[in-house]
Amino acid sequence: MKNALFQTRAVKALAGRTLRWYFESPAATVTLFVFYLLTGYLFAAPLFLLKAASLRGLVDFVPLLLAFLVPALTMGLLAEELRSGTFETLATLPLEDWDIVLGKYLGFAALNLACAAGLLFYALVLWLCASPAGLDWGGVLGTLLGLALTGLAFGAVGIFASSLGRNQVVAFVTAFLVCFGLFILGKIAGLLPGSLGALVEYAGLDSHVENLAKGVLDSRDLVYFASLIAAFLYLAVQRLRARRF
Amino acid sequence: MILAQNLTKRFGGRAAVDHVSFDIPQGQVVGFLGPNGAGKTTTMRLLTAYLPADEGHAELAGLDVAEQPLAVRRRLGYLPEDNPLWEDLELTEALHFVGRLRGLGDDGLRAARVRAVVKSCGLRREVGSKVGELSKGFRQRLGLAAAIIHDPEILILDEPTSGLDPNQVLEVRGLIGELRARKTMLISTHILPEATATCDRVIIINAGRIVADGAPADLAGDLADQNRLHVELKGPADDIRRALAGLPGAARVEGEEGGSFLLESAAGTDLREEVFHLAVRHSWPILSLRQERLSLEEVFRALTQER
Repeated sequence: MKNALFQTRAVKALAGRTLRWYFESPAATVTLFVFYLLTGYLFAAPLFLLKAASLRGLVDFVPLLLAFLVPALTMGLLAEELRSGTFETLATLPLEDWDIVLGKYLGFAALNLACAAGLLFYALVLWLCASPAGLDWGGVLGTLLGLALTGLAFGAVGIFASSLGRNQVVAFVTAFLVCFGLFILGKIAGLLPGSLGALVEYAGLDSHVENLAKGVLDSRDLVYFASLIAAFLYLAVQRLRARRF
Repeated sequence: MILAQNLTKRFGGRAAVDHVSFDIPQGQVVGFLGPNGAGKTTTMRLLTAYLPADEGHAELAGLDVAEQPLAVRRRLGYLPEDNPLWEDLELTEALHFVGRLRGLGDDGLRAARVRAVVKSCGLRREVGSKVGELSKGFRQRLGLAAAIIHDPEILILDEPTSGLDPNQVLEVRGLIGELRARKTMLISTHILPEATATCDRVIIINAGRIVADGAPADLAGDLADQNRLHVELKGPADDIRRALAGLPGAARVEGEEGGSFLLESAAGTDLREEVFHLAVRHSWPILSLRQERLSLEEVFRALTQER
């Protein structure tokens, strides 16, 4: 254990505690309710009104919804520990800052993945409604993967924002601005010329989620999400270290 | 066991801890005294590797705090000031959680440790309560239980009795008393009877610097600039006053209420035997003879009010 990269037991304990905190907290329940209410509408409206068996509506809108909801779920993860002083208890246990950030993040990630798995219900409805040959399973699963990765990336942004201080409102607003920035970059990329447009397009979420939603599993998209997650988790760790000035 | 050498920590150019050095051997219980803002908590945070020192060196159980912070924390139980704990957890859940974070992975072993500390800290009656519902006294006990869940060699307790009522103070003090036989402890407090009652040795810090270090009684002796005796003899008051003033080394004699006299002499001179021989020579029965010692409170005031 002494030379392990992470204190595995401690990381698991923190992740479990975070996940449980979510399920015992009314805020998380409300957030999930809003998520399924809106995604349910976005899924059902085209299906029953336009007779379109597609998750298209989710791809366009869910990243924006996640830019609101994920910061709400992550804003307290470190800020609350800092406010209540329990961060000192954590930070004087035999844990690295990495263990604390990773444990918290994995707790959020488990909730995020459970949420994304819940969207499989929509895929099942599509499968039942569409003609047997009409459902593009690659596209459906790619869409769910894209949305799950978007949630994971926003979660990393949220953890970083939560490490900035004791104030959860600051954490929420900061995380929302960064997530919204990532969302909007993809939308404005088409307005920019040449290589700048290409760069902004890569930096934005849109093209990567779109690619996955088409059923294309491109390593560049996976690297994009992995880089975002690693970068913001790294920043969160650095921020916690810097607090011990 | 706990070694600090020239530990220094500055915040914005001001030294909160200024070249603090001490060495606490195994098994010793040391009270760390000082007024609010003197640097007690910062020193403890340096020793627990919560904050890095700007200068100096610290070791716990022979391990360098800066080089091996995790190894140090494994051997250390720390009760932070205000005892921050997760309010929404049930008492035993909180202990299990801390146990897991400390790497006590075996469920059976951890459960046994939790049972042991719940018993030793007198928490059995409160099992089932959430941390946020506990009284301050029980909360402090829970903080102590969490600090000893892994049976550490060293305990660092920051204000363990702060904010408790006298009964709760006695309870927590009793608990510390039970632990003292097996642990090396550094206990910060600004409640002075606490230090006298609990500690083998007292370190007083003021404005980031150590101003006194020793057994409470020795500190009083070191600091006193004169020896004061309260003498009550049965006999003619004027004769007694003159006789006392005539003793070699006597600096001042003053009458006190109730017919006794205050006899002052230079520090280091003890006139008790001379007073006895004087009383025998004059056949003045000794009704009382008491050497005045500075209380720890007076030592503390003298050392911390100068700045």
